[in-house]
Amino acid sequence: MLSIRNLAKTYPGGVRALRDVSLEIPPGMFGLIGPNGAGKSTLMKILATLLEPDTGSATLDGLDLVANKDETRRLLGYLPQEFGVYPKMSAVDMLRHLAVMKGITKSGERKEIVEGLLQQTNLWDVRKKALGGYSGGMKQRFGIAQALLANPRLIIVDEPTAGLDPAERNRFLNLLSSIGRNVVVILSTHIVEDVRELCSRMAIISSGELLLEGVPVETIDALKGRVWRKVVGTEAEREAIEKAFPVISMHLVGGLQELRIYSEQSPGQGFAGAEADLEDVYFHHLTRHRPN
Amino acid sequence: MFKDFFLFELKLRFRSISTYVFFLMPFLIAFFAVSTSDFGPIGAGKVFKNGPFALTTIFLQLTAFGSILIAAIFGPSILRDFQEDTYQLLFTKPISKLAYLGGHWAASLVTTVGVFSGLVWGAMAGAFMPWADRTRLAPIHFWWYLQPFLSVTVIQIFFLGSLFFCVAALTRRIVVVYLQGVALFALYLIGLVSVIATNKLERFWPSVFDSLGLIMFQNVTRYWTVVERNTQLVKWSGEFLYNRLVWTGVGFLALLAAFVLFPMSAEVLGSRRSSKHAKEAREEEAAESGRPPRRFGVELPRVTQVFGSATTWKQLLSMTRLRFFNIVHEVPFWAIALIMIVFVLISGHFAGRSNGVEVWPVTYLMVAVVSGQSGLFLVIIGALYAGELMWRERDVRFEQIHDSLPLRDWADFVSKFLALTLVETVLASVVLVCGLLSQAMEGYFRFELGQYAKEIYLIYLPQMLMVILLALFLQTVLGNKFVAHAIVVGFFVLIPVLYQYGIENRLYLYGEITPYTYSDMNGYGHFVRGLFWSISYWISVGGLLGVFAVSFARRGTEQSFASRLKAAWPRMARLTPTATVFLLLGGTSGGVFYYNTHVVNKFRTAEQNRHRSAEYERRYKKYQRLAQPKVTAVDAEVDIYPERRSFSGRGYYTLVNHTDKPIDEVHVTDSRESVEDVNFDRPFRQTLGDKEYFYATYQLDKPLEPNESMRMNFRVAYTSRGFKDGNERPEFAYNGTFFDRDYFPFVGYNQSDEIDDPVRRREEKLAPLEEMAAPGDPYYSNINLFTSDSEWVTFHSIVSTSADQIAMAPGYLKRDWTVNGRRYFEYDMGSTRINNFFSFLSGRFSVKRDQWRDVKLEIYYQPGHEYNLDKMMDASKTGLDYYEKNFSPFQFQQFRVLEYPRYRQFAQSFPNTVPFAEGIGFIERLKKPDDIDLLYFVTAHELAHQWWGHQLIGSQTQGSNMMSESLAEYSALKVMEKKYGEDMLRKDLRYELDRYLRGRGGETRHEPPLVLVQREPYVWYQKGALVMYALADYIGEDRVNLALRNFLEKNRYAKGPYPDTRGFVAALREQTPLDLQYVITDMFESIVLYDNRAVTGSYVETPEKKFKVTLKVSAQKKKADGSGNETPMTIHDLIDVGVFSGTKEHLKRLNLHKEWITQETGTFEMVVDEKPTFAGIDPYNKLIDRNPADNLIEVEKK
Repeated sequence: MLSIRNLAKTYPGGVRALRDVSLEIPPGMFGLIGPNGAGKSTLMKILATLLEPDTGSATLDGLDLVANKDETRRLLGYLPQEFGVYPKMSAVDMLRHLAVMKGITKSGERKEIVEGLLQQTNLWDVRKKALGGYSGGMKQRFGIAQALLANPRLIIVDEPTAGLDPAERNRFLNLLSSIGRNVVVILSTHIVEDVRELCSRMAIISSGELLLEGVPVETIDALKGRVWRKVVGTEAEREAIEKAFPVISMHLVGGLQELRIYSEQSPGQGFAGAEADLEDVYFHHLTRHRPN
Repeated sequence: MFKDFFLFELKLRFRSISTYVFFLMPFLIAFFAVSTSDFGPIGAGKVFKNGPFALTTIFLQLTAFGSILIAAIFGPSILRDFQEDTYQLLFTKPISKLAYLGGHWAASLVTTVGVFSGLVWGAMAGAFMPWADRTRLAPIHFWWYLQPFLSVTVIQIFFLGSLFFCVAALTRRIVVVYLQGVALFALYLIGLVSVIATNKLERFWPSVFDSLGLIMFQNVTRYWTVVERNTQLVKWSGEFLYNRLVWTGVGFLALLAAFVLFPMSAEVLGSRRSSKHAKEAREEEAAESGRPPRRFGVELPRVTQVFGSATTWKQLLSMTRLRFFNIVHEVPFWAIALIMIVFVLISGHFAGRSNGVEVWPVTYLMVAVVSGQSGLFLVIIGALYAGELMWRERDVRFEQIHDSLPLRDWADFVSKFLALTLVETVLASVVLVCGLLSQAMEGYFRFELGQYAKEIYLIYLPQMLMVILLALFLQTVLGNKFVAHAIVVGFFVLIPVLYQYGIENRLYLYGEITPYTYSDMNGYGHFVRGLFWSISYWISVGGLLGVFAVSFARRGTEQSFASRLKAAWPRMARLTPTATVFLLLGGTSGGVFYYNTHVVNKFRTAEQNRHRSAEYERRYKKYQRLAQPKVTAVDAEVDIYPERRSFSGRGYYTLVNHTDKPIDEVHVTDSRESVEDVNFDRPFRQTLGDKEYFYATYQLDKPLEPNESMRMNFRVAYTSRGFKDGNERPEFAYNGTFFDRDYFPFVGYNQSDEIDDPVRRREEKLAPLEEMAAPGDPYYSNINLFTSDSEWVTFHSIVSTSADQIAMAPGYLKRDWTVNGRRYFEYDMGSTRINNFFSFLSGRFSVKRDQWRDVKLEIYYQPGHEYNLDKMMDASKTGLDYYEKNFSPFQFQQFRVLEYPRYRQFAQSFPNTVPFAEGIGFIERLKKPDDIDLLYFVTAHELAHQWWGHQLIGSQTQGSNMMSESLAEYSALKVMEKKYGEDMLRKDLRYELDRYLRGRGGETRHEPPLVLVQREPYVWYQKGALVMYALADYIGEDRVNLALRNFLEKNRYAKGPYPDTRGFVAALREQTPLDLQYVITDMFESIVLYDNRAVTGSYVETPEKKFKVTLKVSAQKKKADGSGNETPMTIHDLIDVGVFSGTKEHLKRLNLHKEWITQETGTFEMVVDEKPTFAGIDPYNKLIDRNPADNLIEVEKK
C-alpha cells in the first residue's frame, strides 16, 4: 500500500505543480489521468526520488519514500515520460549493467532476468544492436524492460504508451498488467482508454489537485443515467445548449457534432440517454472543476 | 529571410551571458598585456607595449589561444537546432539554404568579431592606465591597432569560424568541431617542432602553412631591431601575404563546402543522425509485428537483490566500465589519441636534436619530449571527457533512469573519475611506448624502463589526475559545460600569469609541483622529496574537490542552486570521513611541504630576491670605488659532503695594498650567504654585519700600509636543509657537486651582483645600469675584468669528499689519502699564477687519461657517457697544438674536463679545469657527416680560454669581454676548420649569423660595436666569431694570428694597467693592408649591415665547352646605431662573387674571388669548366647581411 499524504510542490518559478495531494494506492494497477501540466509527472518524479516535495509524505508499506531515497530506489522500477539511451551500447549490455546497478549480483539470476525481459519485450533479436539505432517503439520497450528489472515493488510508468503503435501498446499493457498484480503500479496517461482497460483504481488530477479517486467502474456507475447526447447542427444551437447545461464533451460522430452533457434528469429537447464511459467521468470532473 | 535568421541569432547571442564573458577574456588579457610590465607575450625590454610589433604579437597569440572561443560561437550556432530538435520543424518550412546557413554564419561572424574587438579596446584602455610604464608606451596610433586586428584576428575568425561552421553543419556534432580545433593546433605544433628541432634557417613553407600565424610572424620579424619593432607593421608581402591568402582561401572553401553539402531536408538530416541502425531496426520491427503477442502467463524470473559494500564495488566497476567504453567508443577520442601518437612520434624523432645539434636520445630527453608533447592532449582529453561524462546522462536524456538507480552518490562520481583515470593511464602508457619506439627508431637501445615508469606513472599521470579532478569539480559545481571548459582553459592560462606576478608559491597554485631535473649522474636525486610531498598535497586537494563535487552533484531534476545546496548538506555530512582523510593527507603533505619550503628554508619569490639585490646596490654601491686591498693568494681547505649536499671550508686570502694610501677598512660581499666568519692576522673589529643584504665591513686597528700584505682568514659553508619550492641550488648534488669562488668572500662591493634587466631596474626604482667605462679609463684600466677584487693569485687547496667520490680543484695533485672514511686531495698551483677564479667539484667519476707532449689530459665522466671521450681528447690535442703554435705556450702541465649534472647547461673554463655539463657534449651524436660538432667546438673554445682569459685579462672597460670570448670563438673555429674543413664552418657561421641578428632584435639596451661590447653575449660570441673569421678571410689567417700573438706577448699576465681593445685594434690594424683597413672600422668599430643580393644569373656554353656565367648583383651597405636606426653608406667594398655547382646544401666552388664593389648594382662574368648551378655575391655570408638567403641564385641556361 502506497500512501501519499498532503504532497505539495511549488517550482522555483512559482508554478504550483502539486497542491496538497493525498492518495491511498493499493497493489495493482493505478491509473493517473489528467491533462498536460496537471502535475502527474511531478508526482511521479517525487515518488521516483528525483524531486523533493515541499511538504507531505509518501510511504510504501511503512517506508518513507521521501526520506529514504536509497531504499526507495532499490524497490523502484521507473520509466520516465521522456528518456534517451547511450547510443553505442547494446540492449543486453545495458540491461546487464542496470541489473548490477539494481543489486542483482548473482550472475545466473542476472542473465535469466535480462534474457527474460528481452524476450518479453520482444527485443531478443535485436539485443546486440546499438541502442542508438532503435526506433521509438523499440526504445520504449527497452525502457519498459529496464523498469521491470529486479522485480520492483513500486513501478512508476509515466506516459508509457505515447509513441507506441496499437500492437506495441497492447503488448506493453499485457506485460504490465500481468506483472502489476501484486505490486503497486502507477501509470500516468492522458489516454483514458488505457486506464479503463488496465486499472483497478484511478485518480484524476488537474492543476496539481486531486479531482477524483476511485474504481473506474464505480466512477462510471456514478454517472449512469446522467449523461445525455445530442447531435447539433448549428453554432447557435450549440451555444444555447452550452448555456443551459454542463457540457461534458463534444466530438465528431460520422462527421456530425455530438454534444454530451451532464444532467440528473432527462433534459428533453431531443437529448438521448447515453452509455456513460470513463471518458465522460474524466471530462465531467475536469469541466466541473474548471474555474469559471 | 536571411535577415530573420541573422537577427534572431544575433539577438540570442546578445542575450547570452557567455558572449560577454567571452568578450572580457581578450579584453582583460590585452588590457594587462599593455598596461603592466611583464604580463603577456611582450616581456621586458624596449619594445613599446602598444607598438605595432607588440600589438600584432598580442593579437596573434590571443587569437590563437582564443580559437576555442571561435569554436564555441560558430559551432553551436548551427548545432542548436539539432540539439533541440527544432530542425524537424524548421526544415519542413520553405526556407532557403542561403538564408539559413548564411544568417547563422554571418551572425556568428559579427558576434565573434565583436568578442575579439575586446583585444583592441583592452589594448587601448591599457595604454591609459596610470600604473603603466610610460617609457614603454607609444602615443596611440589607430592604424597599429586596426591593421593587426584586420589582418590577423579578423582573418583568423573568418577562416577558423568558417571551418568550424562547415564541420558543425555537416557533422552536427560539437565534439567534432573541437576535434578539428585540436587538429589545427596539432598542425601548428608540427610546424613548430619541425622549425625548432631542426633549426632550419629556411622557414618559408612552415610559415605559409602555419594555421595560427605564430611561426609565420616570428619568422618574418626575427631580425627586426627595436626601432623596427616600434615603428613597423608587417607588410603585405612574402610569407605574411601568402599565409593570409592561403587561409582566407581555406575559409572560402569551407563556406562553399558547407553550402553545397548541407542537406536542407529534415528527413535526410534526421536519418543521418540515427545512422543505418535505424533502418535495420525498422526492418526488424516490420518482421516481428506479425508475431502474436504472448497474452497470458507472463512470469518474470525472480531475482534477489543484495546491497552492501560488495554490491557497491560491483556497481562501481560496472559503472566505470560503462563510462570507459563511453569514452573509447567515441570517434573524437580516437582522433585526438591518433593525432597525439603521430605528434609524439614526430617529436620523439627530434628528441635528440636541439638547436641543430644531435645528441643521443637518452631517456631523460625522450621522456621529457614525449610527456611534454603529449601533455596537452591528455589535458584536453581529461578536461573534455570530464565534461562529457559529467553531462553524459543529461545529454542523452538518460538521467531520470540513471538518477533513480540505487547507486551511491559517491560511486557515480568515482566511476567517472576512475574511467577518466583509466583512459589517461592507457594513454600515458601509449606515450611511454611511443618513447621506447622513438628511441629504437633512432638506434638507441639503452631502454631505462624504470625511469620511464617513474616519470610517466608517478609524476606525469598524477598531474593529469589533478586536471581531471579540477575539471570534474568545475563541471559539477558550475551548471554549464562550456563555462566549465572555459574556466579550465583559463586556469591553464592563469597559472603562468600568476608566476609572472610573483605568485609563485606552489602551496597556492593548484596542481603545481616543485620543479625538478632528472640527471644521469643523480637520477631524480634531491628532488624526490619535494616531488613526493607536492604531488601528495595536490592529489589530496584534488580529492577534497572531488568530495565537494560529490556533495554538489546533480541528482534528480532539481536544478536551482538553492535546492542543490540543500541536498549537498546531508551528503557532505555523510562524506565527512572521506573528507577528513583527504584533509589529513593534504594537511600532512601540505604541512611537510610548508615546513620545508617556508620554515626550514626561507621562501622568497623571484621579486623578493631581486629586491634584495636592489637593496644591496642601493646601500653599498657607494663603496664601489673604495680603496681595498687585492687578493694575491688563496689557500683553502674544503670538505664536501655530497650526501648532504653541503660543504664547509676554511682558508685565507693574502691581501695586498696596491694603492698609495693606508687602508683601515676591509669590506666583504657575501652574495651566496655562505661566509660564516672573517678575521685578520691583526687586531680588528667588525663595524657592519648586514646579513640580509650580503655585506660586512671590518675596521683594522692598524691600517694596511701601501704594498703591505696581510692575511684574511675565513670560514665558509653551505648546508642544504630539507627541500625548497624550486630554486634548489644546482651547485650541490649527491653526485656531481660543482661550486666556485662565488661561495667565498668577495672583497669590496661586487658590481656583477647588480640587476641588469632595465625593466627590473625601473621596477626597483634604480637608475639605468652603469655603462662600463671607456677603454683607457684611468680607474678601471687597473681593475681586472673578471675578478675586480683580485690580481693574479697563487692557489693551494686541500679538498675532501666521501670515500666513493673524487674531489677536484685547480692545481696539481700533490697527495691523495683517506682518513675516517673520507678522501682527501691536495692541489697546488705552485708558482703559476692564475685568475682568482676557481671551482670545487666532487663526483663518482670514471677517468680517461691521455697525454699531449708534457701536458696530462684527463676527462672525468659519468660511466655510460663514453660516447665522445676520444673526440674530446682529440679537440684538446688539436687545440693545444694550434694555440701553442700560433699564440703562446700553454701555462699548465694538465688540462682536465669534468662532467657535472645538467641542472646547469654550460661549460666553463677554470684554470686547467673545465666543468662541462652532462647534457651538452657528453651525449652528442653526429648522424650526418655535415652535422655541426658542438662538443668539439666547445672543448676547443674552453681550452682557448686558457689563453684568452687565463693568460690575457683585459681591464674592466668596454670591449674587454671580446678579448676573451670572441678570441676563444675564433680560436675554436680555426681548430674546427682543421678537423672538419671549411665547408662545415660555413654552415656553422650561418647559424652564428642567425643568432647574432636575432640577438640584436631582442636587445634591451643598445647594441655596441664589437670592440665596445659590454654585456651583450650575442655580440661577443656570434658577431665576434663572424667578424674574426671574416677578417682572417680578408687578410689571411697567418696575419690575424700574428696580430694575436704580438698582442698576447705584449700583454700576457699584465696586471694594472690591464690591456683593452685599443691595443687590440692597433695590433690588428698593424697586420692589415691599407685598402682593407675599412674592414676593421666597419666590422670591429661600427655596426655595419649589408644587403647583398643576387638579382639574376645565367650562363651560356662557349664553343670551347666552357660555361660563361653572367651574374647581376645588387649591394647595399648601412650603418646602424645602438637602437637599430640605419643610415645608408656608400659602398666601396671587397666582396666575394662566385659560381658553384652542386646543390644549395653542398655547393662546389667553381670560381670564387673577391671583387671591389663600388656601385649598388653590378654585373660580373665568369667562365667555369663545369656546368654551374648557382652563382651569387657573398655566397658564404661572410658579411653581416640581414637577408642572407638571397645572396645565391640558381643560374639558368640562356
